[in-house]
Amino acid sequence: MSAADASAARPAQEGARVPSGRPLTPSLSRKGRGRLRAGPWLLATPAIVLLVLFLGAPYVDMVVMSLRTAGHGTPYGTGFTLHHYAEALGNPVYLGALGRSLMLGAIVTAGCLLLSYPIALHLAKAGRSHLFFYAIVISPLLVGVLVRNFGWLIILSVSGPLNQVLRGLGLIDMPLRLLFTQGAVALGLIHVFVPFMVLPIAGALRKIPPDLAEASDALGAGRWFGFWHVTLPLSFPGIQAGTILVFVLSVSAYVTPALLGGQGRTFLSILTVQELLGSFAWPLGATLALVMAAAMGLVVLGFLAATRRLAERTAR
Amino acid sequence: MTVPLRLGAGFVLALIYGFILLPLVVVIASSLTAGELMQFPPQGLSLRWFARFFADEALMQALVLSLRVAAVTTVAVTVIGTMAALAHRALSGWARQWLRTGLLLPLLLPELLTSIGLLFFLYRIGLGKTLIGLQIAHAVVTLPFAFVSIAAALDQLDPALEDASNSLGASGWDTFRHIVLPLVRGGIVTGALFAFVTSFDMFTVSFLLKPIGGNTLPLALFDYLSYDYDPTAAAAAAVSVVLAIAGVVVIEKLVGLRNL
Repeated sequence: MSAADASAARPAQEGARVPSGRPLTPSLSRKGRGRLRAGPWLLATPAIVLLVLFLGAPYVDMVVMSLRTAGHGTPYGTGFTLHHYAEALGNPVYLGALGRSLMLGAIVTAGCLLLSYPIALHLAKAGRSHLFFYAIVISPLLVGVLVRNFGWLIILSVSGPLNQVLRGLGLIDMPLRLLFTQGAVALGLIHVFVPFMVLPIAGALRKIPPDLAEASDALGAGRWFGFWHVTLPLSFPGIQAGTILVFVLSVSAYVTPALLGGQGRTFLSILTVQELLGSFAWPLGATLALVMAAAMGLVVLGFLAATRRLAERTAR
Repeated sequence: MTVPLRLGAGFVLALIYGFILLPLVVVIASSLTAGELMQFPPQGLSLRWFARFFADEALMQALVLSLRVAAVTTVAVTVIGTMAALAHRALSGWARQWLRTGLLLPLLLPELLTSIGLLFFLYRIGLGKTLIGLQIAHAVVTLPFAFVSIAAALDQLDPALEDASNSLGASGWDTFRHIVLPLVRGGIVTGALFAFVTSFDMFTVSFLLKPIGGNTLPLALFDYLSYDYDPTAAAAAAVSVVLAIAGVVVIEKLVGLRNL
């Protein structure tokens, strides 16, 4: 992802305005000012060392691990082989799981987009009362994924409130088995990732000057016409950032599929962790993780290519 | 907007906000049940499951470990993140952009993949299944939260203030200590809070890098949910929801949510 995407993914920070309307520091004036006597690179050293050593090296190690031979009684062997890639790409069990994971990612992303856009529109309007709604959107971020899944475990259980309501309404006779299905996983993930979609879109919407909507109104465009031709295209950078973020996060999600998903036909993240922690087959686990990463990367690149026109037109 | 349309839009918004809040409300309500079973709506009200939670030795050990890991993580990433944010402010051009992207990477890379890489790497350097290894992993993953929040606060600081301080003869450290630090305190506290809460709630990293004999609260909760399904788990979850609400209130008091 580019740096632009990176900052758009946290629109909260980027979208922050200078309260008094004071212009932001022009970047030219940054130069040549000694804030701390120590040079900037010296200040950045601890962070860079931490990330190179414990983020960069582990990813390199994952690639190396995927090329190692399987071990006997140890997590990995000493030789090198491409066998695990043949296994990961040739075995229908893994391919099926990869397909399900990508499909899950697509469904969750679409669901999040559908739920998030109205919320983002609502939040983007000015007004102190909206603080309350911001708090509603942000608070789930501060509660662990586990707790939120737990809520769905209760809601969707056989004797849970959803089944009670459906029976009370006379829609069903027998309680439905809602938990431990792929639908439950999708629902749980949509709930987990809605804030990740709302924040970038609300950030993009806030950057649209209000005069544009007024101009569109004044020129006689209807409400829907204005939305479709002005607001929606101009918020596209936020949609793009949110879509990529939610897709990648939901394909690689582990907890929610583990708690809300069923046994049988499962997702690639679950199989990968099983290989790593259950079977101690580290090279195969590393390969599956990299195959997942490559597949996600291809989808994201495809999405960026398909939407490049739109993004270029609007991200000015 | 016509009245029916406005009502319709309000209804849709209420449904979506309700959807966001529903699981949290259900968990808290279930933890207050007086009955024996996890159920919603709860049967009668009582705090007995909270008493049970605070009396459960394994869960308490997990809670203490989680708080300890989160505290150490917070101190470490707040210091490292503040230094990096100051560097980011002093730099310009491509160096600034690269530093920012690099520091955001742990947030953009899937937690599962980072955990898997760390599982291999920590094992190879002899830190596999140790508390130090887990601690380092938490610091790597939470560093972006601290950095982003502090860098955003620094961006809003008028450079003229530092210039004035410098030209009046204050040293770099004095300027930082007496001018910059008080003005970006809100951003630093927000970053520290986000780092704390993220570390406290972190599951996947802790699951893959779990130290021998060391369960964090989310791991203990996961075991509970997978095997033993009673309202004690709801009480444990409710405790973390209350922590989160306290966090939101503190952030709002200090900096305001809209500026996040």
